[in-house]
Amino acid sequence: MQDNLEKELTEMLIEACRVTDPIPAEISPDAPLIGPDSPFDLDSLDAVEVVVAVQRKYNVRIESSESSRQVLQSLRTLADYIRRHRE
Amino acid sequence: MTSNFNHRQSAHCESGVTANLLSHHGLTMSEAMAFGLGAGLLFGYFPFIRINKLPLATFRTAPGNIFKKVTGRLGIQVTRHAFSDQKRAMDELDRCLAEGVPVGLQTGVYWLPYFPPALRFHFNAHNLVVYGKEGETYHISDPVFGETVTCAAADLVRARFAQGALAPKGKMYRISHIPSSIDHAPAIIKSIREVCRVMVKVPFPLLGTRGIRYMAGQMEKWPARLGERMAILYLGHIIRMQEEIGTGGGGFRFIYAAFLQEAAEVLGDRRYLDISARLTSIGDRWRDFAVAGAQHCKGRAAEGESFADLSRILRDCADKETLLFHDLYALTKN
Repeated sequence: MQDNLEKELTEMLIEACRVTDPIPAEISPDAPLIGPDSPFDLDSLDAVEVVVAVQRKYNVRIESSESSRQVLQSLRTLADYIRRHRE
Repeated sequence: MTSNFNHRQSAHCESGVTANLLSHHGLTMSEAMAFGLGAGLLFGYFPFIRINKLPLATFRTAPGNIFKKVTGRLGIQVTRHAFSDQKRAMDELDRCLAEGVPVGLQTGVYWLPYFPPALRFHFNAHNLVVYGKEGETYHISDPVFGETVTCAAADLVRARFAQGALAPKGKMYRISHIPSSIDHAPAIIKSIREVCRVMVKVPFPLLGTRGIRYMAGQMEKWPARLGERMAILYLGHIIRMQEEIGTGGGGFRFIYAAFLQEAAEVLGDRRYLDISARLTSIGDRWRDFAVAGAQHCKGRAAEGESFADLSRILRDCADKETLLFHDLYALTKN
């Protein structure tokens, strides 16, 4: 069950990555965001779009030591990261 | 035989290993400081050198240079070995571990089983620290992972003796001695000047901001010269080199900006903070390029995301970096 921020992120991902293929009605917050098992069908090239979209929408940078690899594991890890770093 | 080793995750393996090894020996250092002291930032576009049949674009100096420069500039003594014999290489590693000394290794990523299969690729200059051994299992601080990992001896041998470009040949290194007193300031200045020289002063068309402009010029011609499919492969490769290969994003610009922030404190000069902020902004511009390029690669490019538009963003980055590195060089003279 997604929380409000995770729902918001789902919409942001669809818009930023211009996802046009149908996605499941219920997406687990722990489903992988990037890779072959991604319900959004996102790959590593999409990852940079997600990073920039997060920066623009939430003014939160994903870079350096806390790398995007970990932050972009799932909707939950991304939402947690945004909550911790939001100004 | 397992020593206490403070593992810290980093964006980039070599600067992470350098910072972690030095910190273990009492010289606490961030990844950004290691990257900056090692003069790691660069741009080079070498279309005649191929990586998986795609032209080499690099945003950092050659593997090994960061560790070499950081230790050299701070007067730190290092012991290095390379081996042709696998048994001797592992015996020497075990001998160091038995003494409680963590050891840096150059390895081939493809043979490290703790990497998820999707992330394994043939890159033979991956750095990690081995800090312990229990039975036939090694304890490893691999800086691109959040936690320490383990690796069976047989797998580590394969990784240390991987074949192909940049073959590690069992290379290992450890810190032998750190001076009791180190003045970071002269080393920082020297390293900054080196980066500035490569970025804007070396009159070689494939390096620094000249190289960025050269690549922009080539990129405009890719669709006509190579065909759309190959042009997209080239573009995707550049974006991956910029954003994925442990760069911390923006082709290492964000890490270098963090280094300049620390340099401002060490040098007691707030003007470096301004340059740092400008470089972060340029890193964002590189990310604009990556986002527009990714859309193009995905076949969903909108208006303003053609190859010509992408080239314009690169030229904008080159113009801004030309000004920035001239200003930064001038700062080191004052």
